[in-house]
Amino acid sequence: MGKDLIQKSVKDSLFTGIIALALFGPIVGLRTVAKNEVLVVEPKWLVVLLIVIFCAVGRFFINIYTFKKEQRRGESSSLGKAIAHFLDEKGAQIAIGAIAFSIIFPFMPFADRYWMDIAIMMMTYIMLGWGLNIVIGLAGLLDLGYVAFYAVGAYSYALFAIHFGWSFWICLPIAGLFAGMFGILLGFPVLRLRGDYLAIVTLAFGEMIRILLLNWYELTKGPDGLTGIPRPSFFGLPFKRYPDEGVETFHTFFGLEYDPMQRIIFLYYLILILALITNAFTIKIRKLPVGRAWEALREDEIACKSLGVNPRNTKLTAFAVGAMFGGFAGSFFATRQAFISPESFTFIESAIIVAIVVLGGMGSQTGVVLSTIFLIGLIEVFRDFESYRMVAFGGAMVLIMIFRPRGILAKRKPTITMGKHG
Amino acid sequence: MSNTLLDVQNLTMKFGGLVAIDDLSFSAKKDQITSIIGPNGAGKTTVFNCLTGFYKATAGSMYLNKDNNKMDLKKFSDFKVAQKAGVARTFQNIRLFPQMSVLENMMVAQHNKLMVASGFSILGLINSRSFLQKEKEAVKISKYWLDIIGLTNRADDNAGDLPYGDQRKLEIVRAMCIDPHLLCLDEPAAGLNAKESAELNKLLKFIKNDKKTGILLIEHDMSVVMGISDHVVVLNYGKKIFEGTAKETKNSPEVIEAYLGTED
Repeated sequence: MGKDLIQKSVKDSLFTGIIALALFGPIVGLRTVAKNEVLVVEPKWLVVLLIVIFCAVGRFFINIYTFKKEQRRGESSSLGKAIAHFLDEKGAQIAIGAIAFSIIFPFMPFADRYWMDIAIMMMTYIMLGWGLNIVIGLAGLLDLGYVAFYAVGAYSYALFAIHFGWSFWICLPIAGLFAGMFGILLGFPVLRLRGDYLAIVTLAFGEMIRILLLNWYELTKGPDGLTGIPRPSFFGLPFKRYPDEGVETFHTFFGLEYDPMQRIIFLYYLILILALITNAFTIKIRKLPVGRAWEALREDEIACKSLGVNPRNTKLTAFAVGAMFGGFAGSFFATRQAFISPESFTFIESAIIVAIVVLGGMGSQTGVVLSTIFLIGLIEVFRDFESYRMVAFGGAMVLIMIFRPRGILAKRKPTITMGKHG
Repeated sequence: MSNTLLDVQNLTMKFGGLVAIDDLSFSAKKDQITSIIGPNGAGKTTVFNCLTGFYKATAGSMYLNKDNNKMDLKKFSDFKVAQKAGVARTFQNIRLFPQMSVLENMMVAQHNKLMVASGFSILGLINSRSFLQKEKEAVKISKYWLDIIGLTNRADDNAGDLPYGDQRKLEIVRAMCIDPHLLCLDEPAAGLNAKESAELNKLLKFIKNDKKTGILLIEHDMSVVMGISDHVVVLNYGKKIFEGTAKETKNSPEVIEAYLGTED
């Protein structure tokens, strides 16, 4: 077995080397340089050699690892398993610890403006991930246009706040409602579609909404975007250094020095609360009949029909509820930025959210948090190496898919157990 | 006549030029097991798909006698047949929810009544006491059936992890959870060994006698068919070629011909 394994691996890595040579030879090895106003080819064979050796050796080690694993393919690696087991055992404590940490986070000594901004961004993605988890993780409907609902939420919040001057807490549910309605709107035409076809249509839907926002100039100001979206206030107390005449601000009311961080911290707690509401709602609804029907629909739609479960209503509620949370997150985004334009709602956003859900382990709430920290954190760490950011992002996804093919946390807990009831 | 549970008249199903069921008439009685048998491709499963709303029959009528109410099954499309008329079915290739636990499978089958009890999720979200009560009752019903097939101790395991024979039985009792008037079983004994077949017979007899639920059965396993059927309908090429008791069927020359061919 051992000798056979090495032989196989060597063969395979040699083959990899040949492919690498064929690919990188012309791309990297031959470079045109302008010399005395004449283009000449300057070979760089040393670099090519290094790349080829790197590929071949890397492949050799991957091979040794995966060939050994051949007989238990589909099972996860022991390290990943240990992590999953640990999270499973100590799930409740970790969750409480994580929530406690997020509550005291703004008062950490290192939590400056930069860290707070990252934390707010991560929290937004976590909330979006939790929202999309209802659609993809529970109901099994691959939705590649989730950003559309984020956009609908953001724009409906912005438009209501600008034109009617309503406060954040009135506009928030309206924005959620609008996004939910769009969820149903998307749901109807895709009721009969599954898998790849569903993914294509939802992707197109996401683009449609973006293009609509881009071209409906009278309403959305098109590519110029909407400016002057009201900032949220703390129960009517605005965060302003120089308030209008006769208006009390947050810092005067509490007798504090004015500090722009106060608003950031408030925004942080706002998104934290919204995200936790999303989480609590999902955990609860999963245990209700409708949540179980979502999961059953993901497992087998025909069996659902034979048991009298209405697949249309079940799917539409999943789309609507998921979209509603996207809308909530969108209105938070609008109030935080005070400026929105269709640029913020491109396909890559949908892709990142889907990646978060899938890599986290479909249906796993904790998994969403872990993969958000991992992916968004990675993007941030690589901020200085701009052009390598997406490479790192892609690499991270490949790694997770190799070591945890079903996501970081793939284990599913039953929604009801006999032990508790029997 | 009031004893008739299902009355099928002149049922015809065509797929383009292919006539899968040709002018089929039969009836099934309450608290009886009616078997539909026939060689491969005779149209047995198509009959089921018409009855349970998965196909729309080309012609003919199907009436279900539900508490002395004549219900036209043709009026219901797919999931409504189970929801409104109370016709449950199982599938030739088992269709459980493999990644969900055994108990969850049973709970999904009680979806419609739990959905109402949860106030379409609103009462459920606020933990209303009436919903929790109803949920407890649903678990009790699940436990009742799981006790019968001896799977209570595996209630929290994934349904997909059960042995094949247990999956078959689970699919049947899951169908019973919707409280059906008519239970349609598509080859429930396929792939079972002799011992498991015997257990299946016992389960079906229990459903028939104690639950007073009519059973319509498609089966290839003759030991099952002959052992428990009260009434047998034999199909060949979409046509009914014989109808009678199990004993009569066994000795019928037409049936023997359909299965074994003729002696020249």
